[in-house]
Amino acid sequence: MIDTYRALDWSYYGPELLEAIFDTIYMVAWAFLLGGLLGLAIGLTLYTTRQGGLLANKPAYMAMNFIVNLIRPIPFVILIAALQPVTIYVIGSGIGNDAVIFVMIWASTFAIARIVEQNLVSIDPGVIEAARAMGASRLRIILTVLLPEALGPLILGYTFVIIALTDMSALAGIIGGGGIGNFAIVEGYNRFNPEVTWLAVIVVIVFVQSLQLVGNWAARKVMRR
Amino acid sequence: MSTAPLIEFNNVSRTFGTGDKTVTAVEDVSLRVDRGEVYGVIGFSGAGKSTLIRLINGLERPTAGSVHVLGQEISAMREGQLAKVRSRIGMVFQQFNLFHSRNVAGNVAYPLKVAGWKKPAREARVEELLEFVGLTEKAAQHPEQLSGGQKQRVGIARALAAKPDILLADESTSALDPNTTGEVLRLLRRANEELGITIVAITHEMEVIRSIADRVAVMDQGRIVESGLVYDVFSSPRETKDASFVGAALKNRPTAEDVQRIRGHASGRLVVVSLQNAAAVSSVLGEAAAHGVSFEIVHGGMNTTKNASYGLLTLALQGEDRAVEAFVAALNSAGEVQEVQE
Repeated sequence: MIDTYRALDWSYYGPELLEAIFDTIYMVAWAFLLGGLLGLAIGLTLYTTRQGGLLANKPAYMAMNFIVNLIRPIPFVILIAALQPVTIYVIGSGIGNDAVIFVMIWASTFAIARIVEQNLVSIDPGVIEAARAMGASRLRIILTVLLPEALGPLILGYTFVIIALTDMSALAGIIGGGGIGNFAIVEGYNRFNPEVTWLAVIVVIVFVQSLQLVGNWAARKVMRR
Repeated sequence: MSTAPLIEFNNVSRTFGTGDKTVTAVEDVSLRVDRGEVYGVIGFSGAGKSTLIRLINGLERPTAGSVHVLGQEISAMREGQLAKVRSRIGMVFQQFNLFHSRNVAGNVAYPLKVAGWKKPAREARVEELLEFVGLTEKAAQHPEQLSGGQKQRVGIARALAAKPDILLADESTSALDPNTTGEVLRLLRRANEELGITIVAITHEMEVIRSIADRVAVMDQGRIVESGLVYDVFSSPRETKDASFVGAALKNRPTAEDVQRIRGHASGRLVVVSLQNAAAVSSVLGEAAAHGVSFEIVHGGMNTTKNASYGLLTLALQGEDRAVEAFVAALNSAGEVQEVQE
């Protein structure tokens, strides 16, 4: 046990921590990018196919709504296990950072879909009607009216999701992934090194706070208040 | 110029819902609007005006009948086919419906982008329009920085941007105070007179009809109960319901409450005389003493429309019955006289 105690030995923990931070950023960034785009597409589908929407289509809405409700409540740790066969089929391996990213994309897609839908619902239908009255096509309305009008709240919603992804990425260790969460458990908790665990906690706090600050700043700028 | 009407409704109905919950917003409406005129539609809220105006640019579809606009059957077109004709119809809204994600210039430029204008032409046109509505210095501001009247002027500039043939005004002044209302109405009038744009304005405010409309249709429970030149409709409303609407809005005809109040201080015979020919009525009133009749003006008022004035005067007449009878006959030759119901 003694030889594993390296509480403040930066020559060991420094590179370990850097690698963990890199792994976290790698997982969160890819899952956010792909989940963000897929979630946007599904959220737009939900919003536009609703009753009275630009592409109102009850069966399509009900089917999509059902799928979102089906996936969303599954706790992330169970989703990792449940998707295992699919992960192996798509990624080629059920373990490691990429396998974790695959599951994170599922979770973030459906979370973002709901956030996108909810923020679009709050747009004044009058501006959509105005754009329709000018002869704007439905695609143009989505791209140049819906998304810009809801941009501020959408940025806050996406900020919420990227922080949720940071939380999810901390579970990567259970299928052989890395990241800050894995670092805290393997190097800190498992080896009775609370200082190391706390170091991980501080890193996560700084990471999340930075994301929230950037998100708030961008949303404020867009909403001009 | 063709003589065909710019807008034509043939037996148009629009119902919402199904079964027991069916609501008829527009019922068997036929109307025509000619090029260059300002056509007003007035009625209480819930009369179906909003649905009616949205049938013109296809935002609503009729459940029966046909709508022809600019020579095309709007009611037969699919959403995707409407873009071209919609770019020739501007629309102004009660709540302005400006894009908050764009500044003033961006709002005015939007319909030009939709219509495919190139950037230099677009910028020139935006500048021209902002000058027309007097908001050149506000170009870079955002909607939330503007007052209600300024927002509506941006709304009008945006609606006029793509040089439409028709402007639809949906309760365009209902969210504004009286001073600002005047400002916006003058602007609509200029759009009609200087740019030759045909305007269809729906409103519950008599003020709007009085100051800009050439013709008016009175709408009640989905139907057009009366229509014609503004002066004719307002000076002698035909249907009783319509008369109460017009009378209430003009405040020229005493209500039952008014009569009760008048009776508190004035006795004698109460008559209402129409002031279509105000000069003739005045000269008859000047002869009252010669008839042995004294009169007191107890209620009334004048209204001015785009082209003429009209009004009603309520008089309490005192004197011998025969003298009063003769005086009323003389009055009746100058302007229509009605007894006040008590």
